[in-house]
Amino acid sequence: MNLVEVEFTLNGKKQKVTVPPRLTLLEVIREHLGLTGSKRGCGKGECGACTVLLDGQAVLACLTLISQVEGREVTTIEGLAKDGQLDPLQEAFVEEGAIQCGYCTPGMILSAKALLLKNPTPDEEEIKTAIAGNLCRCTGYVKIVKAVEKASRKMAEVAAHD
Amino acid sequence: MTEFKWVGKVVPRIDGVEKATGRLKYLTDIGLPGLLHGRILRSKYPHALIKRIDTSRAEALPGVVKVLTYKDVPGVNGFGIIIPDQPVFCRDKVRYVGDAVAGVVAENPVVAEEALELIAVEYEPLPVVDDPEAAMAEDAPRVHEKGNIHQEVHVRHGDVAAGFAEADLIVENVYHTSRQMHTFLETEGGLAFFDEEGILNVWVGSQYPQRDQLQLARILGLNPRKIRVVSSPTGGGFGGKDELTIQPQLAVMAYVTRRPVKMWLSREESVISGWKRHPMKLYYKTGFKKDGTLVANEIKIVADTGAYASLGGPVVSLAVESSCGPYRIPNTKIDGYCVYTNNGVAGAFRGFGVPQVTFAMESQMEIAREKLGLDPVTIRKKNLLQRGDVAPLGHTMTASVGILNTLERAEASALWQNREQLKAAVDKPWKKRGVGLAVALQGTGLGVGIPDYGAAIVELTEDGHFIVRVGSPEIGQGNLTAYAITAAEALGCDLGLVRVVSGDTKNSPDSGTSTASRSAYTGGNAILDAVAKLKPKLLAVAGQLLGRPPAELKLEGDRILAPATGRSLTLAELGRYLREKGLEYSARGNFVWPTADISIEGAEGLPHLIYTFITQVALVEVDTLTGKTQVLQTVTALDAGRVLNRQGLEGQAEGGAVMGAGYVLMEDTIIEKGYFKTTNLSTYIIPTSLDIPQAHEVELVEVLEETGPYGAKGAGEAVMVPIGPAIVSAIHDAVGVRLFEIPATAERVYHGLRGEKRD
Repeated sequence: MNLVEVEFTLNGKKQKVTVPPRLTLLEVIREHLGLTGSKRGCGKGECGACTVLLDGQAVLACLTLISQVEGREVTTIEGLAKDGQLDPLQEAFVEEGAIQCGYCTPGMILSAKALLLKNPTPDEEEIKTAIAGNLCRCTGYVKIVKAVEKASRKMAEVAAHD
Repeated sequence: MTEFKWVGKVVPRIDGVEKATGRLKYLTDIGLPGLLHGRILRSKYPHALIKRIDTSRAEALPGVVKVLTYKDVPGVNGFGIIIPDQPVFCRDKVRYVGDAVAGVVAENPVVAEEALELIAVEYEPLPVVDDPEAAMAEDAPRVHEKGNIHQEVHVRHGDVAAGFAEADLIVENVYHTSRQMHTFLETEGGLAFFDEEGILNVWVGSQYPQRDQLQLARILGLNPRKIRVVSSPTGGGFGGKDELTIQPQLAVMAYVTRRPVKMWLSREESVISGWKRHPMKLYYKTGFKKDGTLVANEIKIVADTGAYASLGGPVVSLAVESSCGPYRIPNTKIDGYCVYTNNGVAGAFRGFGVPQVTFAMESQMEIAREKLGLDPVTIRKKNLLQRGDVAPLGHTMTASVGILNTLERAEASALWQNREQLKAAVDKPWKKRGVGLAVALQGTGLGVGIPDYGAAIVELTEDGHFIVRVGSPEIGQGNLTAYAITAAEALGCDLGLVRVVSGDTKNSPDSGTSTASRSAYTGGNAILDAVAKLKPKLLAVAGQLLGRPPAELKLEGDRILAPATGRSLTLAELGRYLREKGLEYSARGNFVWPTADISIEGAEGLPHLIYTFITQVALVEVDTLTGKTQVLQTVTALDAGRVLNRQGLEGQAEGGAVMGAGYVLMEDTIIEKGYFKTTNLSTYIIPTSLDIPQAHEVELVEVLEETGPYGAKGAGEAVMVPIGPAIVSAIHDAVGVRLFEIPATAERVYHGLRGEKRD
């Protein structure tokens, strides 16, 4: 079988995979690397559940072919907590009740992460726009938006303190 | 006022961190060594006879382990919660395009997919039954041999002719509702395998593991004890995982091959094969006195249940029960028909028939109150049920009734009080604003005649935790957290010391299904019973160890204290001691639902006794150039009894309102001549973050239900019900367009604005 070798950084560590070129990033991280925090809700770029960070940008892992990540940096939900410390977004999602069934949560958090990396103090409309590609059927998005606002405030406080 | 430590407080959900970190393994996330992959060949036609199935070419494909047909089903080739009329694999007939005709088990998903193409099925197409009303005719082509009317429910209460004779106004209309899809984010999937003890494990997200186990036992011809079902966690259910989904075929695949098999539906396959909300055609004739008093209601409901029964009968029963809204109506004649067609399959869905009839009834109320010159609140107050009233089905409302309280709370909301200013604050001449209000009741539990019970096991561990086991699965609604709160409150311990196990036939007792807004009430009551049995035993032993009478002791935090001496015993110490001495460290609690004082013959589970009550208000803005409606603000005033899990209940209310807004504004699974036109998430549209209101106020009106845990009752469904008709009324208030068919798409409103009828 025709295979490709792809090297990239996954959650801060060098990763090399040798896989069929037709595989998507989502298939590789879920099925070959066992990182199942990235979810498959549609497999076609319609729901956002598989959102990961690629060089800090939110991308849909189900629409990213594995070769496209060569030499680049991929962050999944498993790589967001640092040294056992939850990311402020993860903390805020838990505290604000932004999670119900939880299936959209990893993708939702990573879309919000990409937003905060680029715009640390977004307003409500910017938050809603940033997560508009992430479907959630449980929460009505209300507490999700609040959680992103809370994380943004917390990160600003930490930044001011440093 | 009772002071609670945990009940009603804002606490983070107990599975939150696992979900936020991606550590939680959903059942579709689990792999096993040597896992095979299963796929299902779905029917090519919505209605056809099967003349021949040839699997030989598929079997010959390298990598294919087994191709299965009806011949491979070891037991009963049928399933269905009420009647098993749906084949695991079709033998001689297909009834919808999601019907399973054959299955493939292969070494990898690519080969499985290829093998599907190689199965040759010869069909003889039959006329497609796509109009439920036409399907009711005696000479209509039959979906099932017994006829197309699966079930009918008739209610006669009072004298409807006499009621209409005394009416000053009779409002008569026909309403149509759409086929909403649950759109849980995790599609149906999971794995099945034999464990080292020879037990067949079926791990698929669902809403009632013990019933799945029983249905699978029939299909496989196995003792249920030889099957373990794990159904949690689940990436959303909303009723769509109450009936079996892929478990029948998956279980047969693992049973026949004796190897672990995984199956996980694509979104398209999920859309085509999965359950939906029943589209209904609703005939309403409603009589009013001049002052708005309801005197008679004559209703006919025709529901499209699609190809198989599943819970269609009970859905129509509940629609019949709720068809008069939360109103006193002395004279009623209600006929409900659940009809087979070839339009996919419809089954349980949050609201369970109530959103459809509430849209119709609340529209009737609005039409009447306009003609009578009454205010929306006034006409409703005049008719609302109170405790002790006889309901339109003829039973007495003996449990708590908080509908008036919710209406008063909604009336007092800033949105309702300031509605004229809010409506005037529009900034574009082509945009118009309106406000609408609607009320609803939602029966909770399964109703008269259907066994409805709960069970819980509470155990003190040797490391000082309490394990609470309740079978009803966590499907996102937050019952794990509600159970932990209930247990911690009753025990007196720290919330963090409670672990909850649900959704597993091996490790959690049968506590019924996570549907019908029943799991917090049922499981909560069973937990209280278990704690009432366990706690005295713990205190008795602790009393001996601490040398004080048990009545003096307090279980608090992580220990049992003797305030008189200041001595204490940790729960861990007690847990170890109980084990060392061979003493009881766990207890089982049970609960059986109370039921109404009458039953309705021919119905499934009617009437109910305990209801959730709710009023919702919506402010909308309609673009008169496009017909598009945006919901700007909503208010939910909810009587779900005592609030157990405050944040969870708010979250349900917010999510429910958005799901209800989606139902009434945009969602419809379109099926034409039996074929799906909306097959994925780019054609079936649900609300995104950009579609939600700017403000959603949730008012929790705690009218205590004496039979509930701490006075709580259910909430999960009602929260999506009256928002729909409130939005429809708001559209009418904004632009004068009255819609008799939902969803209220931009197109329908646009044509309505121009006086055209296009449906």
